[in-house]
Amino acid sequence: MPISGTPMNFAFAGAGPARGNGRSVAIIGAGPSGLAAAGFLSCLGYQVDVYDKLPKPGGLMVFGIPAERIPAERIAQGVATLANRYGVRFHPGTKVCDRRQTDDTGDELSTRCIDLDELVRGHDAVMLCTGSWKPRTLNIPGEDLRGVYTGLAFLFPIRAAQYDKSRMREIDVANKNVVVVGAGFSAIDVAHGALGQGAARVSLVYRRTRREAPCGSHEIEQFEAAGGHWLELVTPIRVLDGEGENLGRVAGIECIQCHLGEPDEDGRRSAVPDSCAKVVLPADIVVTAIGETAAPPFAERLGLESVRKNEIHWLQMTKLDGVFVAGDALTGPSKIGKAVYSGLRAAQSLSRWLTLRAMSRELEYREDAPISREDLR
Amino acid sequence: MSADEKILFIDYSRCIGCESCESACRFVHGQPRINMTRTVGGIMAPVYCRHCESASCVKGCTRGALMKAADGMVLLNPVLCAGCETKNCILACPFGGIFCTGLDDAVAKCDLCQHRRAMGMAPACVEICPCGAMHYVTRQESLALQTAEYEAAHRKVMEHVRPVLSPSPRKERG
Ligand SMILES: Cc1cc2nc3c(=O)[nH]c(=O)nc-3n(C[C@H](O)[C@H](O)[C@H](O)COP(=O)(O)OP(=O)(O)OC[C@H]3O[C@@H](n4cnc5c(N)ncnc54)[C@H](O)[C@@H]3O)c2cc1C
Repeated sequence: MPISGTPMNFAFAGAGPARGNGRSVAIIGAGPSGLAAAGFLSCLGYQVDVYDKLPKPGGLMVFGIPAERIPAERIAQGVATLANRYGVRFHPGTKVCDRRQTDDTGDELSTRCIDLDELVRGHDAVMLCTGSWKPRTLNIPGEDLRGVYTGLAFLFPIRAAQYDKSRMREIDVANKNVVVVGAGFSAIDVAHGALGQGAARVSLVYRRTRREAPCGSHEIEQFEAAGGHWLELVTPIRVLDGEGENLGRVAGIECIQCHLGEPDEDGRRSAVPDSCAKVVLPADIVVTAIGETAAPPFAERLGLESVRKNEIHWLQMTKLDGVFVAGDALTGPSKIGKAVYSGLRAAQSLSRWLTLRAMSRELEYREDAPISREDLR
Repeated sequence: MSADEKILFIDYSRCIGCESCESACRFVHGQPRINMTRTVGGIMAPVYCRHCESASCVKGCTRGALMKAADGMVLLNPVLCAGCETKNCILACPFGGIFCTGLDDAVAKCDLCQHRRAMGMAPACVEICPCGAMHYVTRQESLALQTAEYEAAHRKVMEHVRPVLSPSPRKERG
């Protein structure tokens, strides 16, 4: 399975760097949406600055998705082309902050803080591509016990420990009994990660059946072939506390049996709990990998809810003039391709807005067909 | 010689189904010419035109809108195609590589980013693939990429794309 001989090129839209156009754009977040936007804008001659709180560009392509699936060197080389050939300036380890600060996975690796207003003042336009990193929780008792992690909190140190060992420690799963809740791609990645790190037993727990699993039944077969245990039609109701010296540490997880009910609005059959049938699964580590939500900084100030509903005149522009938003920060968790498309469209829109505004011809802007829900889901 | 003709080759054993190829194609061409499919087992993979040496779509098109170009590429001439009633080409393609758009340009198919290549660029999808699963190579070079892992992954996708057809190449008839 050799890797393609054609190098990664985020600036694929043009044949090479353009003459500088004298304008500068700040992009917050160096995931696929931010990098695609940076590539497009640098093809048009913009000076692009990319800020990311992590020590390396790539976003979840580097820090979330296992390296066997996306070769880190291919992303690094695409980033190097942006920097060396197109003059994109990368500012790693720099978190763009708001006064009311939220703590997300990955904050421990950023060393510098810069205020959004400072970026807005210093650039002709700003694009927010901060992704979707806020873990969803199960909201069941015991979730705060030691040994309970969210999917990203579990995976992130596996990827990030190589960058800064002093501040990041991998979660030790060797010879432990690991229960993973969920059946999406991050749940599968966690489960494989735990098997790979030498866990004694890894179980995936899902409330529907493998036919409804978002990761697809093929992934589950592979997980089973790798020695994992698949448990379906069970949903956790309580994380069990340890006893004696293990008080405060997870000891297991209590689940109830479910059966499939009527299809929901997505056509997927829902899981209906059967309250009497309980199962207790012993566990040393529980990982709840049921997804992340987008909690971008400044969401309220930027009126992101109305951008999502397409209420802003300019495609993907926020309430703040000249501040655009793209990728999972706008849509919630999606896929690399959707984030790339969103970044490209927002970059195009940003460039049109700046160009027309410079000529005081904003009124000539015709609304592009908004990106449809279908395009982004 | 056809061995030197360039084609697109996707290594399905490397592909993670992230849709970046389809996105880049959509951005460049408006209507994507490479499309994701999801098999019953949940494998996501892009289906695409192989620019076959002996192309069933070219034979199937009664209007002469599909042609084999001198460099081996299978090209669509939309002027002759527009409004075709039969969609023979879509039915004829064993790889699901021609797409119905439902728009004025009734079908969409890959031309390996002809205009980009004229300007010295590679096909957009190949440049944006984060996995390095997309190869822009000669037919000859593609042979070396057809590893056992590839064949196994390709079979799974093809079983989904053409469940009723036999997965072996069709024989020329009379
Ligand atoms: C475990 C896992 C597995 C996945 N597997 C797949 C898969 O197989 N295929 C697929 O297509 N998709 C997969 N996804 C989804 C995919 O990774 C995302 O949809 C995609 O990366 C989103 O891109 P983005 O650019 O919007 O955001 P991200 O990739 O999340 O990048 C956002 C960047 O912004 C930075 N940032 C955030 N806040 C700030 C701030 N305040 N200041 C500075 N920087 C900030 C972050 O550090 C990060 O680098 C997976 C996701 C996870 C979690």
